[in-house]
Amino acid sequence: MIRLENISKDLGEFFLRDVTLEINEGEYFVILGPTGAGKTILLETIAGIYHPDSGRILLNDSDVTEVPPRERNIGMVYQDYILFPFLTVEENIGFGLKSRKIGKSEIKRKVDELENLLDISHLSHRYPVTLSGGEQQKVAIARAIAIEPPILLLDEPLSALDSRTRDYLRGELKRVKDEFGITMVHVTHDQTEAMVLADRIAVMMQGRILQVGTPYEIFNKPLNNDLADFVGVENILSGVVRTNEDGVAEIEVDTGGTIFAVSEYHAGDAVKVFLRPEEIILSGHEGDSTARNVVKGRINELHDVGPLTRVQMDTGRSELSELVVLITKRSRESLGLQIGDEVYATFKATSAHVVRG
Amino acid sequence: MLKELKASKIKIVTILSCLLLAFFILVLIICVVTHTTLPALMTSLASKEIQFAIKLSLTTAAISTILCIAISIPAAYALARYEFFGKSLINTLMDIPLALPPLVAGVGLLILFGTTSFGKALAETGLVFVFTPLGIIIAQFFVNVPFMFRILRGTFQGINPRYEHVAETLGCTEAQAFRRVTLPMSKNGLLAGSVITWSKGIGEFGAALMVAGATRMKTETLPISLYLNMSCGELNLAIASATILIVISLVSLFVFERYGGFARVF
Repeated sequence: MIRLENISKDLGEFFLRDVTLEINEGEYFVILGPTGAGKTILLETIAGIYHPDSGRILLNDSDVTEVPPRERNIGMVYQDYILFPFLTVEENIGFGLKSRKIGKSEIKRKVDELENLLDISHLSHRYPVTLSGGEQQKVAIARAIAIEPPILLLDEPLSALDSRTRDYLRGELKRVKDEFGITMVHVTHDQTEAMVLADRIAVMMQGRILQVGTPYEIFNKPLNNDLADFVGVENILSGVVRTNEDGVAEIEVDTGGTIFAVSEYHAGDAVKVFLRPEEIILSGHEGDSTARNVVKGRINELHDVGPLTRVQMDTGRSELSELVVLITKRSRESLGLQIGDEVYATFKATSAHVVRG
Repeated sequence: MLKELKASKIKIVTILSCLLLAFFILVLIICVVTHTTLPALMTSLASKEIQFAIKLSLTTAAISTILCIAISIPAAYALARYEFFGKSLINTLMDIPLALPPLVAGVGLLILFGTTSFGKALAETGLVFVFTPLGIIIAQFFVNVPFMFRILRGTFQGINPRYEHVAETLGCTEAQAFRRVTLPMSKNGLLAGSVITWSKGIGEFGAALMVAGATRMKTETLPISLYLNMSCGELNLAIASATILIVISLVSLFVFERYGGFARVF
């Protein structure tokens, strides 16, 4: 288990402010944040490369704040691979074992095993400069896990790779975790990556950890406006709770209109409502949905984003003003949506997340 | 049409200047090496005096180069890696020997080692720099250390500190990470720096003349030998020294270009 207690570190441009975090053994933990949030320094501080200005780091309940990196036994993988260019693949992977004064034949055996595992045996005698990005990253992973670390730190390990290689390596990382039971701490700015890989996610912004939770909690139940904005909640509405019956609040939105949402807040509470664009269903008629919320509006804009279509609808002054909806391209086609069409947006009371406004 | 004509005029003028300059350099070198005959050159090269000068030049330059490496590796590393008080001032100071005329550097060294109590104390321990080969070494060191230092500073700056970080997580101490990772990655810079420092050391004249004097068969390096023999009309001996200096310069230039004047690193 990794425990960070009130870690602060100031490196000028990048900094950590009072970071407290607990990462469980065997967990795939993702630290998600925008560029410049201090994610890399956080990893480097866990690795022991930086000494925190204040705070403590505990590994399995023992304080390692003063322990140098070489004695922490933590693997580190960077976005830019950082393979030693003057060593072959084999020598790179064996580097840490050589530091540990392990015999030549034992190193060879271990390196072979890792090369097999990551399917890089055919690259054994090549130099890093001759390898593709994906191959280099596999070597970097092999080199880091060769020392059998209980913890592997990954700093944007997939960010420099093309999307096919990225998908493939995501699978490899999961496999490495399962095979060796390593605790993975993976830093990224990529939300899909976080969603796919993480058991738990910590969102980091401007040197602080703002929220820790399961991917569902992070993406559907952000704690505040900034977090909601960062994780792609495009519909953020302010309002006041009018009534609350059995945990379902009727919220009057400032721009007009009413939303029903599952919430603990009481009548009179000022709130913010977060509604992910993919939680909304569009249809051409009012229909017989069991969802509590149905909003009528006109389509303002239609944009294709990859396999999805982003629909912006104007719900008129008396309603929620503007809603952003994500639908599949296919449903766009089957609904025959055009700009100017009148549509009905439907969403469940459980889809809207309410926080204090 | 007119524009094209104008452009090609510029082309002609610039290329002609280029050729003129290249021709000038080539003629100069040919003048020196053809001034004597091959048998005369061989006789001169075999002479005791030239042999002495070759030996003295090679050894003093080698020793001063080693000294330059020994001090520049840690100093350049500090300036490449760490932030500390007075860093930019030190960076500027390090370049002064480059701008200083070697004769002035030589006067400074002569005063330091010849007249101060520091110099006298050193002399009492047997380290006499004034009018000795040791003086040649210190003169070469002082004048040429900025070359080594600048190349190594650039080399270390070009190496991502993450290489050392990774090495440390893999079980290296800071010193081991430097030795096992940073140093091998600096190989080209070290080679380029050594070659330029050594070849400049071989050619060092002004500062060495001031500190070590020009004593035949004692502080007579190749350039000193060239100077002494020119002064007393021993043209063949002078040309022999000059020819060796030219050969050394050309070889060094080749190696330096090959391994990167910009201290090419990975």
